[in-house]
Amino acid sequence: MKLLVVEDETKTSAYLRKGLSEHGFVVDVAADGRRGFDLAVSGAYDAIILDIMLPGLDGWAILRDLRAQGKQTPVIVLTARDAVQDRVAGLSLGADDYLVKPFAFSELLARLHSILRRGPARQPQRLSVGDLEVDLLQHRATRAGRRLDLTAKEFLLLLTLMRREGEVLSRTLIAEQVWDMNFDSDTNVVDVAVRRLRRKVDDPFPDKLIHTVRGIGYVLRPR
Amino acid sequence: MSSGRGRSWSIAWRLTSLYVLLSAILLVVAALFLYWLLQSNLRHQDNSTVAEEIHVLRVILRQRPDNPTILRQEVRWEGGSSEAPPIYERVLNRAGIVLLQTQGMKRIAPVSVFPSPIGVRQRPPHTAERRTLANGQIYRLMSAWAALGSGTRRERLLQVALDVTHSEGVISMYRNALALVVLVGVLASVGASLFVVRKGMTPLADITNAARKISVTQLHERLRPYRFPVELHSLAEAFNEMLDRLEESFTRLSQFSADLAHELRTPINNLMGEGEVALARPRTPAEYHQVLESSLEEYSRLSRMIDSLLFLARAENQAAPIDLAVLDLRQETEAVREFHEAVAEEQQVRIVCEGAGQVRADPILLRRALSNLLSNALRYTPPGGCIEMVSSASTAGSDVLVRDSGCGIAAEHLPRLFDRFYRVDKTRSERSEGAGLGLSIVRSIMALHGGAVTIESTPGTGTVVRLHFPA
Repeated sequence: MKLLVVEDETKTSAYLRKGLSEHGFVVDVAADGRRGFDLAVSGAYDAIILDIMLPGLDGWAILRDLRAQGKQTPVIVLTARDAVQDRVAGLSLGADDYLVKPFAFSELLARLHSILRRGPARQPQRLSVGDLEVDLLQHRATRAGRRLDLTAKEFLLLLTLMRREGEVLSRTLIAEQVWDMNFDSDTNVVDVAVRRLRRKVDDPFPDKLIHTVRGIGYVLRPR
Repeated sequence: MSSGRGRSWSIAWRLTSLYVLLSAILLVVAALFLYWLLQSNLRHQDNSTVAEEIHVLRVILRQRPDNPTILRQEVRWEGGSSEAPPIYERVLNRAGIVLLQTQGMKRIAPVSVFPSPIGVRQRPPHTAERRTLANGQIYRLMSAWAALGSGTRRERLLQVALDVTHSEGVISMYRNALALVVLVGVLASVGASLFVVRKGMTPLADITNAARKISVTQLHERLRPYRFPVELHSLAEAFNEMLDRLEESFTRLSQFSADLAHELRTPINNLMGEGEVALARPRTPAEYHQVLESSLEEYSRLSRMIDSLLFLARAENQAAPIDLAVLDLRQETEAVREFHEAVAEEQQVRIVCEGAGQVRADPILLRRALSNLLSNALRYTPPGGCIEMVSSASTAGSDVLVRDSGCGIAAEHLPRLFDRFYRVDKTRSERSEGAGLGLSIVRSIMALHGGAVTIESTPGTGTVVRLHFPA
């Protein structure tokens, strides 16, 4: 997967390049708008991460010209300005997603994955990670053949973590996906819910599947 | 301070001009009246003297046509008097030959200067012709036909001239005097009105000076309304009320800045300290890992705080558009209850949703407000307690009550509870969850909806927060 990062802030572009490379992406960086646009037009990128405040040509202009040329490369827009009009403008100009600085890297990663995954996603009937199995039709989860007694929300939480196996999910994302709470909150609700889920999924078994990534969120993966 | 150009005339000048205009009008009217009175009196006297003389001569000619002595006496006598204003008389026959005239009349008032005579049966008019004659004096002239005896056809032409120089002089002197009075009066009224108006306006200047003395550093200063005239009381009071509001906002703002700095100081202090200590000597990767994780936690805290502050700022400027939808209150409260269910169970607190109703609200913001209230309630409700979320809707709007059986809040904290960063329990503020913005956000959300949030609390019994959405 090849990505283009158009960002003039060197620290930002450096950590984006590093982080994205470590997650298996090939990353090109353009430090100004003009060069960003040229690369975006000529290179075959799977997605573009585009800052708005750029020297030369600003992000909106790049996005507009790109779409005008018929390039449909997915674009995630980054901005420090949290104005709703900006968001609307961005999406109407053809941006695929929008992130306001400061944002969590895991958030960017999650959005990137979801943009690249877009399209007809096949919904499997059964998911399994190690000896943990989930049957979506019957709404039941088993581990090592033993049935887990989960509430509806716990089931959904487990499902969310399993669907993105190996991906670190932020608390905000989990709150959005499981409870449909689309705002950042300072509460420890997600932590408590995950702790309770662990009690049922992990505590009785020697191999732990749900892991805390401190400062970022939670991930489900076999060790 | 920007008003229409037309309104920027000074009040002093407006009042002065009005006063001056008024007094000028009064003076001119009075002067004109007095002048008219004197003039018509004097002229009436002169005119009737002339008419009377014609009458006397006519009577003499009619009744004593044969006795020229009486006529001669009359003519001579009138002209000879030295005290009364001189009156000249002349009698002519039809052919225009002078039969008799007052001495000196030929030189002063020749026959030709007289106006055309009035008929023998006509009464002398009220006004005789006024004319300045060769000697420079002003005269009233009249000529008339007179019958000589009764029943005859013989006639005589009478010419009478009265010297009115003196009375005309009096009139013109009087006119000049009146004009002078008017002029002086108007000038005096300019000065007087300027003085009076200036004097009358001093309270305004006083109030201005008093207002000017109040600066940011002395926002607590107030005008004393009773020091000013009654008309300015309400202005002074309104000004004081404005100062009250300003001072309050100002205090809140500086309190907010101080709180904000304090809130920022803690995480940044942790970050700096941890970073420095970590770099002071070589560490194991695990130790570095831990430092970074800890930093990330602080960063997230900061980031959330910035988000919340931006949200509040936008809401305050009404710059956050809201996406209204008709929502089922029970469904929303249940959703929020489910979100907090795990925490509630851990704390052995029961959450109960009751009631029903619909509300027009932004779905995300409604959940955010309810969630903030619920997490607050959970924080202050002891194990075994219960939190109720009661929905209701009527024509007056929709309401959600969040009632807890917690420790309650002392009355003194209630008014400031919705202030940013305000915390009831100062001691547990530092690491307790939430940046102290939760209730401010609730209030902003309600303001964006045109609704309100109210809070009642009884220490020891619990707290009730009511969200009211207008219909």
